[in-house]
Amino acid sequence: MRMKRTLIAAGTVTAALILAGCAGTPSSNAGGSSSGKTTLSISVWNYDKTPEFKALFDAFEKANPSITIQPVDILAANYEDKVTTMLAGGDTTDIITVKNLTDYAGYASKKQFLNVNDIAKDLPADKIPALKDYDFKGVHYAIPYRQDFSVLFYNKDMFTTAGVADPANLTWKEFAADAQKLTTGSGADKVYGAYLHTWNSIVQGYAAAQTGGSPLSGKYDWMKDQYDLTLGMQKAGTTLDWATANSQQTSYQTMFETGKAAMVPMGTWLIAPLLADAKTGTNKINWGIAPLPQIKANGKIVTDGGPTGFGINKTAKNVAAAKKFLAFAAGQEGAKAVASIGIVPAYHSDAITKQYFGLEGMPQDAISKTAYNPDEVNLDSPVSSTAAQIGTILNEEHQLIMTGSKSVDDGIAEMESRVKSEGLVK
Amino acid sequence: MTTIAERRNAAQHDSPGQPGAASNRPGRSKARALRRRRILVGWSFILPNFLGFALFTLVPVIAAFVLAFMHWDAYNAPTWAGIDNFTRLIGDDSFHVALANTCLYALGHVPLTLAIALGLALLLNQKLRGIAFFRVAIFFPYITSLVAVAIVWNMLFNPTTGPVNQFLHLIGIADAPGWTASTTWALPAVIITSVWRDMGYYMVLFLAGLQAIPHEYYEAAEVDGAGRWQKFWNVTLPSLRPTTFLVLVLLSVSSFKVFDLIFVMTQGGPGRATLVLSQLIYQDGIINGQFGYSSAISLVLFVIVLIVTVFQFKLQQRRER
Repeated sequence: MRMKRTLIAAGTVTAALILAGCAGTPSSNAGGSSSGKTTLSISVWNYDKTPEFKALFDAFEKANPSITIQPVDILAANYEDKVTTMLAGGDTTDIITVKNLTDYAGYASKKQFLNVNDIAKDLPADKIPALKDYDFKGVHYAIPYRQDFSVLFYNKDMFTTAGVADPANLTWKEFAADAQKLTTGSGADKVYGAYLHTWNSIVQGYAAAQTGGSPLSGKYDWMKDQYDLTLGMQKAGTTLDWATANSQQTSYQTMFETGKAAMVPMGTWLIAPLLADAKTGTNKINWGIAPLPQIKANGKIVTDGGPTGFGINKTAKNVAAAKKFLAFAAGQEGAKAVASIGIVPAYHSDAITKQYFGLEGMPQDAISKTAYNPDEVNLDSPVSSTAAQIGTILNEEHQLIMTGSKSVDDGIAEMESRVKSEGLVK
Repeated sequence: MTTIAERRNAAQHDSPGQPGAASNRPGRSKARALRRRRILVGWSFILPNFLGFALFTLVPVIAAFVLAFMHWDAYNAPTWAGIDNFTRLIGDDSFHVALANTCLYALGHVPLTLAIALGLALLLNQKLRGIAFFRVAIFFPYITSLVAVAIVWNMLFNPTTGPVNQFLHLIGIADAPGWTASTTWALPAVIITSVWRDMGYYMVLFLAGLQAIPHEYYEAAEVDGAGRWQKFWNVTLPSLRPTTFLVLVLLSVSSFKVFDLIFVMTQGGPGRATLVLSQLIYQDGIINGQFGYSSAISLVLFVIVLIVTVFQFKLQQRRER
């Protein structure tokens, strides 16, 4: 009998321990408004290596001494998965940083964020063009703080050496011709005229933005010319071929900084690391930015891009403080903080542009300044709950076209038939 | 489970010769108490492990079974779907591709790993100076980080600058395969990598099996005039049968569940050339937020693994008879 009692006691203790483990609630900073100070938690990725967060948080805390920001740091590569799991588990982090529009579509269609139309209404829409990108069926579930778009990064010295004029307003055909002139050497010493990264957006996104084609339409013939051009460059050896770039997991930043490629079309997010690397001496090249090459030669600069923003978790504990932060981040003060480290803010004004080009190491030429102010920034893909699934299909067929496993026509036909058979378009 | 002591106790008290029911009752209850105590003791040993298993494996597995018949985005309340997810499965092109790829992977991975692991075990089951070094060397891939393995093999398989193709060019093969960049060769490339990684582990299992074979069997065979080949065929292989069976089951289960290596090496590409079921489950569930549909796929995967394993068990039983 004694043993039995011991066993029961042991069992009770074990069960209690397990229950205690399961019910572990974050007791330290939940609620967070003791002694008049509010602690606002915000999910971020790679906090140490993404200085924009710290710049923004510091500026906000300075303007609002009663609020302290607690970053919830997540590994960038796992950010989307981790946030999905957090939200499903009823996590109470106040603000969720929205990394891209595909994720945004997911959060919005699941209604995981609060409606922030009230904040959006008070912001100057003409100064924040990206604001409209977060319109999901008439509701804003997030507010942008930065807006990146594609530009052409180029190595000025390589252009001078090859005697090629600076790429002020190229069409894609001229871009391919310039790449030919800038390609030199062979084998391990080969320098490519251009580096086109492995992402499907590098072909499909540019084509969508500049032709007005939409991934949600279920018709993809507008990609054909861009594919023909890219495959032609790959065949001519003026860009690193897709298969090699993919299997080596080539870094576009390294290709550009080490002078292995003269031109790299890429998002403006590359500017900040180039500036930072110039300070440490890793980046020694003389570079500039030019407008993204165009499909139509009508003098208008049309590029693709998208916002990054903040949304308020539906289960947030500090909604008032969170709303204050969203408005701050999207406005002029937030823009100043973000621009101070080379990130393109969502808020546009002459003062911000001036501040941006005043950064140490920033190219000062007229072409770079033109590139910084494109006429039109179009989304790769409109916000939709089917965007992620369509994106997967378009990317799979992109790989087949780029590796030559399928012709451009067959690849496009397959995209169209797959999105239809999986019921993603009507 | 009744122990001998228990049965003896029970027999003493319940023996038909016992007079009167009154004296019978306390004895029976004592036996029952003893029995209960034994069961409790037994449970107390299993409980800690079982609780962990139940909490982190059993409950999610059962939840997945239920979810397979629902629509769920992991956030809002799930809604009943009936067999919707399964009818969608039948028409889903990606599912067909993933199923075919998974089977092809298993067909390549299982026999190759089995044969190579057995071959290595036979080779290294000798009393030679320094043999331990080679055993460790071959076991090494298994304890190496999988991500490192995948990245290094990706470099080796690079179609233009990779050592594999440079070697193939050297020995006169002009049209070397594109490996992970080609839809035809990506799956073989993954299989080769996985065989290389796994062979060491299964070799150790085979080595253990080989060392358990009594030496007398070989002596008897030699007396009967058996050659090397006959000894292998008539002594080694039959004696290794339990080990071979274990290796076969472990290998098949792990082949059908393969995820990590493919996720790091090719992410299912190019196109869908190396898309396997586990990855489709991940993609539809975690990425696209369709947990009901991805549970339905995992249910199918579970049934496949179950059938394969049961079939192997039946085959083994028949052989042993």
